Amino acid sequence: MLTLNHVCKSFQTQDVETLALNNVTFDISRGEFVAIMGPSGCGKSTLLNIIGMLDTPNSGDYYFMNENVATYNETQLARIRKKHIGFIFQNFNLIDELTVAENIELALLYHGISEQERKHKVADVMDKVGIAHRAGHRPSQLSGGQQQRVAVARAVVGNQSMILADEPTGNLDSSHGEEVMKMLEALNDEGTTIVMVTHSPEHAQFARRTINLFDGQVITQNVRAA
Amino acid sequence: MYGQPEQEDFTMFKHYLITAWRNLIKNGLFSGINIFGLAIGLMSCILILLFVRNESGYDQWFEGSEQVVRLHSGFHMPNRPPFDTVRSSGRMMEAIKAFASNEVQSGARVVQQGLSVQKGTDVYPQDVSMVDGSFLDIFPLDFIEGSLETSFKRPMDMLITRDLAIKYFGRTDVVGETLTLCCVASNPVTLPVSGVIQNLPENTHLNTDLLVYMQPRIFADSPNILESWGSLNVYTYFKLRQGATVEQLQERVNYWLNNESPFKKMYEDNVGELPSGMQISDHVKLRIMPVSDIHLHAKAHAGSMGDLTPLGDYNMIVTFVVVAALILLIACINFMNLATARASQRAREVAMRKVLGASRRQIALQFLGESVMLVIIALLFALAAVELILPFYSQLLGRELHLNLLGDLSLLATLLGLAIMVGVGAGIYPALFLSGYKPAQVLTSTKGAESSGSGKLRIALVIFQFAISVVLIIATLIVYGQTRYSTNIDVGYRYDNKLILNVFYAQDRLDALKQELEKLPQVKQVVYTSDAPTQDRENNRGYKLLASSDGKAGQPDAQMLNYYSTDYGFFNAYEIEPVAGRVFDPAYGSDKVIRPETLGQDISNASAIINQSAARRFGFNDPQQAIGRTLEVSLYENQIHHLTIIGVVPDVHFRSIKFSIRPSIYLLREDRFNNANIVFSGHDIPTLMQQVEQIWKKVVPMQPIYLDFLSEMMAAQYAEQATTAKLFGAFSLLAIVVACLGLYGLAAFTAERRTREIGIRKVMGAEVSDIVRLLVWQFSKPVMLAILLGWPVGILLMRHWLQDFPYRLDNWWFIPVCVLAGLLSLLVAWFTVGGNATRVARRNPVHSLRHE
Repeated sequence: MLTLNHVCKSFQTQDVETLALNNVTFDISRGEFVAIMGPSGCGKSTLLNIIGMLDTPNSGDYYFMNENVATYNETQLARIRKKHIGFIFQNFNLIDELTVAENIELALLYHGISEQERKHKVADVMDKVGIAHRAGHRPSQLSGGQQQRVAVARAVVGNQSMILADEPTGNLDSSHGEEVMKMLEALNDEGTTIVMVTHSPEHAQFARRTINLFDGQVITQNVRAA
Repeated sequence: MYGQPEQEDFTMFKHYLITAWRNLIKNGLFSGINIFGLAIGLMSCILILLFVRNESGYDQWFEGSEQVVRLHSGFHMPNRPPFDTVRSSGRMMEAIKAFASNEVQSGARVVQQGLSVQKGTDVYPQDVSMVDGSFLDIFPLDFIEGSLETSFKRPMDMLITRDLAIKYFGRTDVVGETLTLCCVASNPVTLPVSGVIQNLPENTHLNTDLLVYMQPRIFADSPNILESWGSLNVYTYFKLRQGATVEQLQERVNYWLNNESPFKKMYEDNVGELPSGMQISDHVKLRIMPVSDIHLHAKAHAGSMGDLTPLGDYNMIVTFVVVAALILLIACINFMNLATARASQRAREVAMRKVLGASRRQIALQFLGESVMLVIIALLFALAAVELILPFYSQLLGRELHLNLLGDLSLLATLLGLAIMVGVGAGIYPALFLSGYKPAQVLTSTKGAESSGSGKLRIALVIFQFAISVVLIIATLIVYGQTRYSTNIDVGYRYDNKLILNVFYAQDRLDALKQELEKLPQVKQVVYTSDAPTQDRENNRGYKLLASSDGKAGQPDAQMLNYYSTDYGFFNAYEIEPVAGRVFDPAYGSDKVIRPETLGQDISNASAIINQSAARRFGFNDPQQAIGRTLEVSLYENQIHHLTIIGVVPDVHFRSIKFSIRPSIYLLREDRFNNANIVFSGHDIPTLMQQVEQIWKKVVPMQPIYLDFLSEMMAAQYAEQATTAKLFGAFSLLAIVVACLGLYGLAAFTAERRTREIGIRKVMGAEVSDIVRLLVWQFSKPVMLAILLGWPVGILLMRHWLQDFPYRLDNWWFIPVCVLAGLLSLLVAWFTVGGNATRVARRNPVHSLRHE
């Protein structure tokens, strides 16, 4: 699915240069469920942003479906992103002014799909994540778990082949967290590649493989026994 | 710790000042937009204010000015375009003074003449005011040399102003020195200076720097000046008695007009029986106007002949005052919109101040202080801008305008007052809005305390701003279009390649002059006429259609026709082809109007050419029917002429299209020639001008030359309208710039607030263009609504404006104008919002998504 080769990323803030990713190399196969772990500030989110093409590396190569996207411009990246990648965030990032259905539809809005088909797909995915009865509500009227389910629905409604989840359970209590993890697992079973950043060793257990990051470097990779 | 109360106040004030200043610096973009916008608004106001101050306060410079009035006249005859003028006839003054002796204390006539002053071998054009001796009772002029008692007592006493004394003599003590004027009663006269007066102020309608005590005898040869009822050639002033009002005099004059004046008989002689239910005052207008109203209001009475000095235009002034106020209003709206939009950013400050004990009043005052400070900074920029622009502005308006704040405390006070008013006006809503925050809500909430109400208000204000802009664009386009239309209209004749030479003072040398001029290689033709196009003397007489010898009926009543005197070759020179019959031709030998040698009842014969309007007036549906018919008219006192119609020519626009075409008649009458129309070819214009001047100096040595290009005279008719168009364009542009500034600020702010949403959309696959479209569309809706609102208002206003033009743009012009105005506003709005939207849309969404 994707390969990172000697990827480096640094941030310049005033006088200090911070190296967020230092020579990161690994690959992820199609259909894998990978967890990325590590202490705060180790570069997890930066790594996820680069994988999700929201950010570009300073050096190194990034092959996504056999294309080196490291040097692509914003528009090219946006086109690949919207076709293949869905995002789930810790703070859900739903738009308060839009309803649940409209938030989910947003992911299809930029795909050139007819309105009828969009409505159809949105309805299907809402059924799937069990949020159909809340279609007309605003995000602020939902519980955290429900909001994250909306976010999951939004991430998969376009049939994306990979989901990037940035601490998807970080803002949820344990039962809701469990619920979301089960949902991700089910998606993985259906063939969706999932890359998840998490602090929770418990939720990392859902992944087939865990990549441990420290100070911008890959320290260990554990593969869970099948 | 506890200082004196004043000290505390000062500390507080200093603290507010510091907070205000830091806020100003911190929010550079918003402060910049506000200061720039307000500066443009204030600049427009100051420019208009200077113009208004210059235009108002006319003719209040002398004692008793409020009691001085002028008599204006008008002939509004049935089936004719009205003839209005600020002049009156020579006999009205004495008659009205005698009849309205309870109201009128004194009356005086002014006969204004363009003469020349001869000093040695030099000749200077000089306007001369021939006035009745009572003129100085009405206009008390200040004497530098001589005195009221001694210097203006006898006919032909002459007063000159200080400037004129210095011009002709280089000093002011010139009583007893002589000036030779040319010509009075066709002869040069040498008159001694009997007194020197102070220069008249700039703000007077009088054009008087040389006055001569009028000796009525000198006009004996021109009875139409002083001895006529129907020829309107003098300016008549009255001074009212203490306690008498303008209305009383007007009423008295109307009574005289209907019951005592000779106009009823004149009407019957020229037009026929007065229809029942009509009074003579329905047709002959005598209007009394206070002199202090003349400059701004006499335009309505002035017709096509104007006044002693160029008149102001009250409607134009009101229009521009409104426009300036609108620009300032747009700038104030910017301030309100940006201040309330940014309110949430300052909510914490307000809450903390309240927690620490500030009252709502104190906080409101703090914000008001900030807005006044901002306006005062803007005022400084505005004043600097006015200084830079003033020379060009003065030139455009043709006025001497000055900005002298220190020497003009009332102006300074007005401007400071304006600044405080604007500051408070723009600041009051944000101040109340911001000071109303509840501390508990603000401090515990993580989001801004924005209500949806203030957001809607902002959109409403943006709609209002852009609606104003749309109206101004429509107005500009229509004024411009009408000006183009006026200047490009087919007047019906050729006016290029023509010079107009005034030959009024060369009457006895016309043949010699023509001979010399026609010798010039570039001159094709020289034709004498009474009037050149653009000149308008309103010469009217009654012409009666007689029955024909073969039994066709005549008309019982005479028709009032405007008449021109032209030489052979006139129609040829102007390329006007007759639609029936022929033009004047020496081969016939019978075309000329000849003044009978002997007084008597003998009937003289001559030829006439009429225009199509006149032919219709005589009932000829086909111009051919008019040919050969006879008109009866009295051209000289007690003499009858029978004129055979030899040709009918098309209606041509001889004067500005602001005025309609009159039924007119052309006669070949040599004693009325005032102009040489010189038709030239070739391109060496400077040489031609030089040669014409040389010939003039040789043939008419003692007269200054008045030589003009006809094309320039034609353009000058629309100069004022062109100025209006330019001013409108400039102020509309300013209004749009200010409105766009506000839109830019608001768009920038909104985009800032929507950063997270934009981030989400980008993650969902939105491209930069999608985001830009989203943000631009958000502001397109209010602008489109503004366009829909602006259209009807603009159309209504400008249709009203166009009513004043007998020949005007067709109504369908409003369609492209409105479309253009709409597109322009929309494009400008897109451009304004789009630039910032692109910047925001390009930002990496990562940062906005991680944290709230």
